[in-house]
Amino acid sequence: MTEALQLERPAHVRPEQFVDFDIYAPPGIEQDFHAGWQKLHEPGVPDVVWTPRNGGHWIVTRNHLLDEVFADHTRFSSRVILLPKASGEQHNLIPTTLDPPVHRPYRNVLNSSLAPRAVSAIEEGIRDIAIDLIEKVRLQGHCNFTTAYSEVLPIRVFMTMFGLPLEDSAKLKAWADATTRGDGSISMGDALERIGVYLKPFLDERKGKDGTDMLSRIVNGRIGDRQMTDTEALQMAVQLLIAGLDTVVNFLGFTFVFLAQNPEHRRMLVDNPALIPDALEELLRRYPLVTIGREVVEDMEYHGAQLKKGDMVATATPLGGLDPSVNPDPMRIDFKRAGAQHVTFGTGPHKCPGAHLARTELRITLEEWLKRIPEFRLADDTPLRYAGGIAASIVAVPLVWDPASTRAA
Amino acid sequence: MKITFKAAGSEDRTIEVHGSLTLMEAAVRHGIDEILAECGGACSCATCHVYVPDEWLAVTGEAGGMELELLECVEARRPGSRLSCQINLSPAMDGLTVELPPA
Ligand code: HEM
Ligand code: FES
Repeated sequence: MTEALQLERPAHVRPEQFVDFDIYAPPGIEQDFHAGWQKLHEPGVPDVVWTPRNGGHWIVTRNHLLDEVFADHTRFSSRVILLPKASGEQHNLIPTTLDPPVHRPYRNVLNSSLAPRAVSAIEEGIRDIAIDLIEKVRLQGHCNFTTAYSEVLPIRVFMTMFGLPLEDSAKLKAWADATTRGDGSISMGDALERIGVYLKPFLDERKGKDGTDMLSRIVNGRIGDRQMTDTEALQMAVQLLIAGLDTVVNFLGFTFVFLAQNPEHRRMLVDNPALIPDALEELLRRYPLVTIGREVVEDMEYHGAQLKKGDMVATATPLGGLDPSVNPDPMRIDFKRAGAQHVTFGTGPHKCPGAHLARTELRITLEEWLKRIPEFRLADDTPLRYAGGIAASIVAVPLVWDPASTRAA
Repeated sequence: MKITFKAAGSEDRTIEVHGSLTLMEAAVRHGIDEILAECGGACSCATCHVYVPDEWLAVTGEAGGMELELLECVEARRPGSRLSCQINLSPAMDGLTVELPPA
């Protein structure tokens, strides 16, 4: 009965704008997360559509509209960014759910630690972590890439940047996971509280000193003419854990499945590592995985749609890089593709501040892995499982290779 | 495609880029150190300021909106001033030459 209700078309939505599309489970997700989004790019589908799923919301389907909705906070607010709106309302994190100008000073506090210069300073540290993880599995000839590598690297990088003890990585990661997807063992509120209790002594110890680690910069951050509060500092730390771990974990998953299944592409990178940065840009275009949203600020006509104040608009980044009107033959991966466009890291005031760090982690991973384990494939006994969500993923990536084909580098 | 960066007191640097980068991202990737890009392209720090010569402005476009507001407060602003994070590279920009502001 609720299903029937849920599928009704509101009066302000025109019949041709009505689609039945679940952003968290696009059609065909059992086989492939990305393919199903193409349904919204088929001829005849308007650039702005409305779906009754996930509380009912609009979807902008073209790269240039995504660009605009992400960036224009005067029309599309970040007050609520998660769908369905009812649960999005519960989610307040700094700086993500703030609009400019309030957003700016908080964002500035993060920038100094994530800017290219700061990332360069820790690049060798990231490389050491990567090598350590790869060497642990190299001679074993197989691994679950997800648990052995991609879930471990970003949290260790986080601990390094925050100046926290590496041995606490697993603990903090488990709490961070519970704040977003909870396996039921600890509730979201509980997890947040444990992170708070864990971080408190570090916050206290660093307050008022001139440490250059990211946590020091956050606790000592200035918001206009006052000091950042403890609550704000904690929210920022949690936001970084939420935004900076799963995204990298999941993107690595898509990347390694592609490389495992496409030996010609993989060998191009093995033979010519200088191609890795370009290849990564193409992979970022092809495998966008974040789906969030914006709240409509006031009634307006937008590309043929009657948006009402308070309506939600999904900004599904897969619809950007896979938009055939800007990236012809979008499912094809071409490391030399020219003039590609995407919104994989968002755009505008909230554009991902971690993009350079993410690119650095990804590049180092490809450089060090392909040098050591150039030949690998998917273990064939288990079909891949895709999971939709705010950051989509491939649930497990089991890899196999011949230890004799590896190199100590 | 090729892009050249000019700065007073140093040699011209030409970089080769593909794909879907902004001018700022291309510069950062190729070690153009003057581009600090503190905010990562969110159009809020102005540390990615470049001068686009007149003859290229039609291709790159001119600053607008938020970018223009931010440029109001940069030092050494000139008519061709742009924030390089707001320029999406396209094949038409092959051969683009930009100048970096004085240090
Ligand atoms: C491949 C990896 C990543 C992807 C695809 C990604 C994607 C995104 C996207 C689409 C947004 C925009 C959200 C919005 O407009 O509301 C965003 C924001 C953000 N990202 Fe990332 N991200 C990645 C990695 C990282 C990393 C490594 C970090 C940090 C260490 C990070 C930290 C953040 C933060 C703090 C924000 C919020 C910024 C703000 O609200 O001003 N991200 N990210
Ligand atoms: S990188 Fe900050 S404004 Fe361009």
